[in-house]
Amino acid sequence: MQLPEPAYVFAVYSRQYHVWRKLIGSSLVSNVANPILFLFAFGFGMGQFIDTMGGMSYLTFVVAGMIAYSAAFAASFEMSIGAFTRYFLQGNWNAILSTPVTLAELLMGEVLWAAVKSLFSGICVLLVGLIWGGVPSLSGALIALPIVFLGAVCFACAGLVATAYAKGYEFFSYFFTFWVTPMFIFCGVFFDISRFPDAIQYLAWLFPMTHLVAAIRPLSSGIALDPAAILLHTGYIVLFSILSFAAAHRKLRQRLYD
Amino acid sequence: MEMPAVITASGLTKRYGSLEVVKGIDFTVTSGQCFGLLGPNGAGKSTTMRMIMGLSDASGGTLNVFGEPVKTMSRATKARIGLVPQETNLDPDITVLENLEAFGRYFALPKAVIAERVPKLLDFMQLTDKQKSPVNALSGGMKRRLIVARALIADPEMVILDEPTTGLDPQARVLIWKQLLDLKKQGRTLLLTTHYMDEAQRLCDQIVVIDDGRILDQGTPQELIDRHVKGHVFEVQKPHLAASPPDRWDHEDIGDSVLYFVHEAPEFIADLPDEAAYMHRQANLEDVFLRLTGRRLREN
Repeated sequence: MQLPEPAYVFAVYSRQYHVWRKLIGSSLVSNVANPILFLFAFGFGMGQFIDTMGGMSYLTFVVAGMIAYSAAFAASFEMSIGAFTRYFLQGNWNAILSTPVTLAELLMGEVLWAAVKSLFSGICVLLVGLIWGGVPSLSGALIALPIVFLGAVCFACAGLVATAYAKGYEFFSYFFTFWVTPMFIFCGVFFDISRFPDAIQYLAWLFPMTHLVAAIRPLSSGIALDPAAILLHTGYIVLFSILSFAAAHRKLRQRLYD
Repeated sequence: MEMPAVITASGLTKRYGSLEVVKGIDFTVTSGQCFGLLGPNGAGKSTTMRMIMGLSDASGGTLNVFGEPVKTMSRATKARIGLVPQETNLDPDITVLENLEAFGRYFALPKAVIAERVPKLLDFMQLTDKQKSPVNALSGGMKRRLIVARALIADPEMVILDEPTTGLDPQARVLIWKQLLDLKKQGRTLLLTTHYMDEAQRLCDQIVVIDDGRILDQGTPQELIDRHVKGHVFEVQKPHLAASPPDRWDHEDIGDSVLYFVHEAPEFIADLPDEAAYMHRQANLEDVFLRLTGRRLREN
């Protein structure tokens, strides 16, 4: 077993970065403009009817949720449809595996890039939220960014699991319907989940998204902090990442080697 | 001087479930050789190549590359091999030049080395004019050339080529052959699979013919021709065949005509009746291949 070495992980990362620079237009639209539109609709539209939620202004509430969601969506997309295209359609992964890069390094490079790109989306939403007046604690928001990055790693790894099991693009309709959309609806992005029935709440806490939102919202909104809770949420995210990376690696090892 | 062995396979097998696709093959590729692995579709060629690259685990037997068992092949050893795969898996999102640079990074080559090698490889494969083009703008022949250039980025001692000229026009094939002969002159070991017998005859020093997961024969192209199809082939139309009893000449009935494989052309011609209609040509590797593997059509 070859231990992963940074040079090879960064070789894969670097390829992704080069392509991103070429296709920056479409990338900015889907990962930055898209969440900003949501922010506008909910913050501005719904905000008119809802004064406060979770002890803060609705705008503040939604900005924290949208930072998390924009990162989650970008990472999920990049590692599902994006990665599947490179793996299945374009043969990039087969080409890379004929070089000294190992499968673990290939997947780490992919995940690392997806997380950086997603963090960038999150930062853009944060900036818009800040200008809009939805970020009462900038220092708290900056402390939240590493957690957003870990969250993005987690969603990237989860996307990789979908890619590892996908036989075709149709498979991703399940991934988006049963994984990405629930993260949008049930994980506290727009509504406080304490309003849901208990059963739904238990289910919601299984999703790393709920933990990510719960960890970063107190930070960016500047309300009273419970550091232990933030650590616990972050720990769940890290554990989820490790398990899903291992699952994806295992399945892809079976599929790419024989 | 005996050249060192680059690949040694002995009793190598590969099973997928109960299906055995490689059934115990032995061969040795020595340094500096162009070694041809020939066989019809489904013979086990690509599986063998994948096992050599460490992309497929052998089910039995031993397989060493550069003296190391493939199962525990180190990164340094893998970096001594360049692969030209059968499928076109160039990176379509980046340019010709960037494809080579990206591959240099996958081999963890220093930036300066990549910058020095890429223009040379583009020149070697006659792609300098296309270096800024996206991969999808290239013709089939250019794509193959780029894949060969890509395989050379880390200056490999051995290049493995899986059907490098399939689907190319004659001009493109001739160019690739010329560059492969150049690589051989530089002392690199080449391992080649192909369906084209003229390609194998032109490039290979040593050939193994496999079918149904087994080695049928191995030797130099000339040895194989001498052994299986003599020097001359006569295709004689029925019904006016050679006068001598059938066991005098090595022959094969192929339907409307009979193929005779003979060493002594004048004697054979003398043995044909005057009214015989025939075609006479030099025996080649294609004849060997068809004699060894039969004329049954293979499906993928």
